[in-house]
Amino acid sequence: MPETTSGTLPHTSVSPAPTDVAPLVRTGSLLRFMLRRDRIRLSIWVLGIGLMALYFSNAIQVIADGVEELAQMAVLFSDPVGRMMTGPAFGMDEPSFERFYAAGYVLFLYILFALMSVFLLVRHTRTEEQTGRAELVRANVVGRHATLTAALLLTGGANAAAAVLVWVASGPVAGYDAAGTALVAAGGFSVGLFFMGAAAVAAQLSQSSRGASAMAGGLLGLAYLIRMGGDMVEQGGSALSWFSPLAWSQQTAPYVEDRWWPLLLPLVAAAGMVALGFWLSTRRDVGASLVPPRLGRATARPSLGTPVGMALRVLRGMLRGWAIALVLAALMFGSYAESMVDAADGLPEEVAMIMTGDDLMLGYLAYMSLFLAIFVAAAGVSGLQVLRSEEVHGRAEFALSLPMSRTTWLGAHLAVLLGGLMALTLLVGLGTAVGAGASLGDLEHTGSLLLAGLHQFPAVLAVVGIVVALFGWVPRIAGTVGWVIIAFSGIATNFGPMLDLPDAVLNLNVFGHLAQHPVEDITLAPVLWLSTLGVAGLVLGLLGWRRREVNRV
Amino acid sequence: MSENPPVIRTEKLVKRFGAVRALDELDLTIATGEVHGFLGPNGAGKSTTMRVLLGLLRADSGTVEMFGRDPWRHAVALHRRLAYVPGDVELWPNLTGGEVIDMFLRLRGPYSTARRDELIERFALDPRKKTRTYSKGNRQKVALISALASDVDLLLLDEPTAGLDPLMEVVFQQTIKEATQNGRSVLLSSHILAQVEALSDRISIIRAGQVVESGTLSELRHMTRTTIEVETARPAGEIAGMSGVHDFRTEGERIIFEVDGERVEDLMHQLAPLGVRSLVAHPPTLEQLLMRHYGEDLGHRSVAEGAQKG
Repeated sequence: MPETTSGTLPHTSVSPAPTDVAPLVRTGSLLRFMLRRDRIRLSIWVLGIGLMALYFSNAIQVIADGVEELAQMAVLFSDPVGRMMTGPAFGMDEPSFERFYAAGYVLFLYILFALMSVFLLVRHTRTEEQTGRAELVRANVVGRHATLTAALLLTGGANAAAAVLVWVASGPVAGYDAAGTALVAAGGFSVGLFFMGAAAVAAQLSQSSRGASAMAGGLLGLAYLIRMGGDMVEQGGSALSWFSPLAWSQQTAPYVEDRWWPLLLPLVAAAGMVALGFWLSTRRDVGASLVPPRLGRATARPSLGTPVGMALRVLRGMLRGWAIALVLAALMFGSYAESMVDAADGLPEEVAMIMTGDDLMLGYLAYMSLFLAIFVAAAGVSGLQVLRSEEVHGRAEFALSLPMSRTTWLGAHLAVLLGGLMALTLLVGLGTAVGAGASLGDLEHTGSLLLAGLHQFPAVLAVVGIVVALFGWVPRIAGTVGWVIIAFSGIATNFGPMLDLPDAVLNLNVFGHLAQHPVEDITLAPVLWLSTLGVAGLVLGLLGWRRREVNRV
Repeated sequence: MSENPPVIRTEKLVKRFGAVRALDELDLTIATGEVHGFLGPNGAGKSTTMRVLLGLLRADSGTVEMFGRDPWRHAVALHRRLAYVPGDVELWPNLTGGEVIDMFLRLRGPYSTARRDELIERFALDPRKKTRTYSKGNRQKVALISALASDVDLLLLDEPTAGLDPLMEVVFQQTIKEATQNGRSVLLSSHILAQVEALSDRISIIRAGQVVESGTLSELRHMTRTTIEVETARPAGEIAGMSGVHDFRTEGERIIFEVDGERVEDLMHQLAPLGVRSLVAHPPTLEQLLMRHYGEDLGHRSVAEGAQKG
């Protein structure tokens, strides 16, 4: 019986040699599988972006009572520092609610689109390969390009859905002009697709999902920095702005000029990068990267035989990555100092009377020290997450089977982390000082800028202390709480005044208490109590870590 | 020697995870110089026991002592005397295998580089590769080499060869035998039955957090059944009715059945007059030992898993 059926099958049905299996076979099944796995994560991303748009586009009408008040507030976005933070500030000489929305808030929606794209795409491609799950999937009848295609469809679909929600929130709900609203939504979609393409390439280049996310995320950071420099120079952006994918969507100037053609740039670039991603994926094996791993040392250096040496190797890569990114950012921010002095020339007379060019420049540099310190604290939180993953992945357990106490293990890791963060604050201060010195042509402010960087350390220590205390007692929530603190600090520092948050809420901002050196003199009280908070957190965390069970499952 | 406290002693050891009693009054004693096989299927509580012995988890009630001391309170002092190989070895991805071995040896105390190099060669490990590129078996080799090259009194090995190939399995058995010749004690958890059989002086069988059987292999065998296949000149139907005979069946000329350990002698008296043409007796396998404690269903499951891993 079997012989007759198998004899007829090849002629009646398809499927000849395996080489002829279409590269996209089972894309649909994989897409359904991804949707099933991500039904919650995906909903949070898409709804989150929609809710942010809803909040922004409806809060402005509440914050500002009328067009006159809006005109006063427009300075926030149209002065050089404001343009650095939020964009080219189109139409701020004649502000309306919708223009205010496009100039001040839409950039953050774009950043969320970009982050969503990077995380979703890397999660379904490189992460799957790194964990070996991709191998399991590819062992079935699954086309060579099916996984990447399904991940692209998923990410593209999520971007489209989020764009529709943004359109609903700012058009029909907030009542903003139809053409501009469509551009805002299309701009988000285009940014999302651009970074989806970037992630598709990064996923082929790096062997680890963290590396791939860092690569694509680094591109986003670079896009932001370039846009900062470009938009700061003049209202409406300068030639430099046009090198940033984030700026392309902003250059559509929604509600002002309503031009569609800048969106061709991200869409064409996205198509190109997606094609490159597909091509690169055919040049490598499953699980492998394009950069082959190298052989290392057969024996350890003497330094590795100590708890601190162990901790150094655990945290080194993470600290190095943050250091490179933050020093580059500091150099760039510092080098805008001269532009700040120039910008003061254009200030209205009544402002110039109370604020000189130097004041403006130093105020800007003080603000940058604060801004970068939040990122140093973010490095601290990600370092503590590395420690938590040491525990979760069983490496802490293995290390603690050595004659090494809990206190020594955590103490050594914290010593390395805090030492690294201290070095980061110094490097950031130095970077700002060197950048500013180069642009101003003198090194007059070097000392005070180094001090400004270091002066933020107590706030960083406080954040680390809080997260370490949680690590000692309720490790499950430590990382999440850490990132909430960082996100809140960033929002409260940058947008606290704009969002009209009550003082009680603003006071919760760890970074809102230190004096703004070098424009203000350093006050000792916040330095002391933030340091005390930090040290208390460290001690509490160590006590908890000694008492609790390791990696209890 | 007899005045020394046992290397490991637990009495009525209880460990709860929420409502689950992972260890339910577990009694386990290991004497100096003993290789103790710790046998049970996944989820029976083997790894939890190891982690309590290391002082990583705290016992909820009962006694637990290592070298006469409480592992939760004296972890560091006790860890000077032991080396541990986790069941699921996770290593630092940016270190090479050689670096991890050195790091562990140095943190444990003085060691011989010659011994380390010899073990690396015998286990055929390339120490220059980053551990992120290692297979599970290679990660296990790293942990094993760093444990075996250490000058310690006790080895805690949690399913140490689950990822090793048969050749490496032989190397592993040789190195464990060498270690015991130097007076080391070993707690070897496993569900690979042949391995425990080959290495262990004593065996404890763990089931749902309790030690259900403990003793030397021959003691345990005595308590279980031997399988007999016999061909006789005269019909042997009467054997089926004997007390202590189970699963009696006929296959062509032969009859096959199982007989309780303590009834073997009686059986031989019964068989002799029937004219035995051929006789094959299988000693009870540990599969059968386990099945007896886990019932038929569970027994098949655990044996199937053991066979897969082996």
